[in-house]
Amino acid sequence: MNTRDSLERFREFWTEFVQVKSGLVGLALLLSFLLLSIIGPLVVPFPDALSHWHDINYWQDNPDAAPPAWTNLLPWVGKKGCVSRLITSYKTEKVEEDNGVVLMKYSFAYDYRWDKAPRDIVVRFQGSGQVPVMISIARPDGLSAELYREQLDLAEGDVGRVSVARNCGQQVIEFVRSRNEDLAANLNPDLIKPIRILFSKLDANIENDPEPLKGTYTVTLSALILTDQFRLEKPAIQVSGDVSGLMGTDVSKRDVFTGVVIGIRWALIIGILTSILTVLVGVVLGVVAAYFGGATDWVLNRLYEFVYLMPVLPFLIVISAIFKPTIWTLIGIICVFFWTGPYKPVYSMALQIREETFVEASRALGASRRRIIFRHIVPILLPYSFAVMALSIPGVIVYEASVSLLGLGDSSIVTWGQILHDALTQGAVINNLWWWVIPPGLMIALMGMSFAFIGTALDKILHPKLRTR
Amino acid sequence: MYRTYVLKRIVYGTLMYIVMVFTYSALFNSVAEQTMRSQIGEEVAQEMSRYKNLDKDQFQTLMQKRLADKRQKYHLDDPLGARIFWRAVNTLGFNYGNATIIKAPNGDKSVLVIILEALPRTIVLFSSEVVLITVFGVWIGLYAARKPNGFLDRATSALTMITNGMPSWWLGMLMIMFFSYAVPIFPSGGLHSNPTPTGLANVADFLWHLSLPLLTLVILGVWGTAYLTRNIVLTNLQEDYVMAARARGIPERRVLFGHTLRSAMPAIVTMAVLSLFSSIAGNIIVEGIFGWPGIGNLYFVAVEQNDVPVLMGTLSIETLVNMLGFVLLDVIYGFLDPRIKVGGKA
Repeated sequence: MNTRDSLERFREFWTEFVQVKSGLVGLALLLSFLLLSIIGPLVVPFPDALSHWHDINYWQDNPDAAPPAWTNLLPWVGKKGCVSRLITSYKTEKVEEDNGVVLMKYSFAYDYRWDKAPRDIVVRFQGSGQVPVMISIARPDGLSAELYREQLDLAEGDVGRVSVARNCGQQVIEFVRSRNEDLAANLNPDLIKPIRILFSKLDANIENDPEPLKGTYTVTLSALILTDQFRLEKPAIQVSGDVSGLMGTDVSKRDVFTGVVIGIRWALIIGILTSILTVLVGVVLGVVAAYFGGATDWVLNRLYEFVYLMPVLPFLIVISAIFKPTIWTLIGIICVFFWTGPYKPVYSMALQIREETFVEASRALGASRRRIIFRHIVPILLPYSFAVMALSIPGVIVYEASVSLLGLGDSSIVTWGQILHDALTQGAVINNLWWWVIPPGLMIALMGMSFAFIGTALDKILHPKLRTR
Repeated sequence: MYRTYVLKRIVYGTLMYIVMVFTYSALFNSVAEQTMRSQIGEEVAQEMSRYKNLDKDQFQTLMQKRLADKRQKYHLDDPLGARIFWRAVNTLGFNYGNATIIKAPNGDKSVLVIILEALPRTIVLFSSEVVLITVFGVWIGLYAARKPNGFLDRATSALTMITNGMPSWWLGMLMIMFFSYAVPIFPSGGLHSNPTPTGLANVADFLWHLSLPLLTLVILGVWGTAYLTRNIVLTNLQEDYVMAARARGIPERRVLFGHTLRSAMPAIVTMAVLSLFSSIAGNIIVEGIFGWPGIGNLYFVAVEQNDVPVLMGTLSIETLVNMLGFVLLDVIYGFLDPRIKVGGKA
C-alpha cells in the first residue's frame, strides 16, 4: 500500500464520512476539546492551577462556594453580587523625598457597580527586604481612608498579602469616626464587616442595611523605599466577591472553570491512549487466534472469556483501593479489560479472511506467517477497529471517573472525576452548589458523546456487514 | 441434547469462577495476609486479657502458642503457593472471614452476613430497574420503529448516544439536588424514613425511597433498550408475514404488538437479562450516591474505611453473580435458539 493509495482511500472515506451528520458533530466536538486542551493555559484565569490544584495558599484569595458571575444576569436575582476579579493594571507615581528616600505609589482603579459589597479585597505584591507599606482607599464620594500602615519584613520570594476584611477593621472604624462620631460609637469592632462599610454610603443605615456606594474606587499601595535592597514587584489587588468566574468556585476556593479545562487533557489522554492500546492488542490477538487456530485459538479464547466475564468496575475499585495505582498503571489495568472489545469481531472476520484466495496465494508464494498477518490481514481489519475503539472510549472515561469519584484517583493530576469526588464529599449536593456539580459531569457526558457520535458514524461506514444494507 | 448443553455451560462457568477466585487470591495475597495477621493479633490480645493472673513467662508462652495455633489454622505459615490455595478454597466456600471495621446491623462482623444483608436490596433496585427499562424501552422502541426517521426515532438514536457516556451517578447527583433539595419531593437517600412506619405505610415508604434512584437509572438506561428494540423490530417489519398480516387488513396496532413483537420478543428478553447483569456491576456507584444500602454502597463504605476483607468479599460475590448471569444467559439463549446448542465453537 503506497501513500497515494492510502490518500485516495482516505478521500473516499472522507466523502462518506461528511454525509453522516452525527459524525461531523462528534468530530467538531472532539476538535474543540483538543483545541481547548492545548490552549487551555491561555484561556483559564489561573494558569498555574495544574501544579497548585491541592495548594490551599494558591487559592486563598478567592471567594469560597461562589456561583458563576453570569448568575447576576438572571432575571430573578434581585441583588447583584460583586464579581470577583484580579486587578493587575495600576498607575505608578514616584515621589523622591529630600533625604534620598523614595516613596512609590501604585494606584489601582476599581469600578464598583454591584448591590452587594465585595467579601474581601486583598492587596498582594512580591518583594524582599524591610519596607514600610501603606494602603489607602479613595471613594467615589470624595472621602478616603487609610487602611493599613505597617513595616513589612519579607524574605526573598515572599508574597506580601494584606486582606482588608481581616487586617483593617480598626482602621475602618477610625475612618467612620473621622466623619461621624455618633455612627462610629454604635459600631462593634468585632461584628462589623469593614469591606461593607467601605463600599456603602455613610449614613444611619451603615450598621444594619447599608446602601451601596457605586462608582470608581482607587486603592493605593504606597511603599517607602529606604534602601536599595528592597524591591516590590507585581503588585495586584484581588477583589473577592459573591460571584466568580465562568463556573464559580468550590468550597476550597478553587476556580471550577480552570479545573474543568485542565481536566480535558486527562480525559483525552486516558480515552485515546487506552483505546489505541486496546485496539492494537485486541486486533493482533484476534487475528493470531483466528489464523493459527488450534491450541493458540483455544488459549486466547479462554483468556478472552476470562477477562470478559470478570466484573470490571468492582475489580477496578478493589485494585485501586488496595494498590493505589498512578494514572498510568490505571490505564494499563483498564487496557487489560478493554482489549476484549475489538477481539471478538476481529476474530470472526479474520476467520473468514484466512480462507480468502489472496491469503492462500501469498502463502503459496512463501510469505511468512508474520508477513501474512501484519501485511495482509491486520490492515483490512484496522479501519473497522477504529470504530470499535471510538465506541469504547466513553466507557473508559466513565470508569476512570467512577474510580476517581470514590477518591481512588491519582492525586497528582486533576480529572473531572476527582472534581466530582470533592463536590460529593464536601456537600455540593446538599448545599445545592450546582455550578460545582454540573460542569465536570457535563464534560464527561459531552466527551463520551463526541466519541459515540464519531464511533457510530465510523461503524456505519466501515462495518463490512452494515455496508451492504 | 439441551441438557448436556446446559450442564456443559454450568461446569464451564464454575471452572471459570474458580480460576477467577484463584487469581484474586494470588493478586491480593499480601494485603489479605497483612489484614489477617493484624486481626489474629487483636483476637489473641483480647483472649489473653482473661489470663491476667498468670506470671509473665507463662503468659508469654500461652500467647505465643495461641498465635501459632491461629496462624496454623489460617495457613499463614505455609509456603506461598499453599497460602494462596487455602485462601481461594476459603473464598469458594463463602468463608470470607471477618470485617475489620464494618458491622452488620446486628453487630455481626462476618463479611458474608454483611454481604447477604445488602444483596437483596441491590437485587430489588436493579430488577425493578430492568423491568421498567424493558417495558418502557420496548414501548418506545416499537413506536420509533413504526415511523423510521420520524421524530421519536431520531430522538431515540440521539438520546442513546448522548446517554452513552453519561455517568449514571452524576445524573443521580443532579436528581438529588433537584428533587430532594430544590423541589423536595423525594428523600435524598436511604432505605426508610426515620422513624420507620409500619404496615402498608412501610411499603409505601420503601417505594418512595426507591423511586429516585430508580428514576435515575431508568432515564439513562431506557434509550439503549429502545434503540435495540427499534432495530430488531425494524428488521422484523420487513418480513413477509408482516406484509401478509397487513394485507389481511389487520390493524397496524395489532400487527405491531401481536405479530412483530411476538417474534422479536426472544431477542429482546435476552437483551433484558444481559442488561440486568451488566447493570448490577456497572451501576454500583449509583447506590453509593443515593445511600441505598446494597452491594454498591458497601463498596463506598469499604473504600472509605479501607476494610479489605469486605472489599474482597464483595468482589467475589459480584464475580459469582456476574458468572451466574452469563451462564443463565447462555442457557436462555440455547433454549430460544436451537442452533446455538448444536454449534461447536463458542
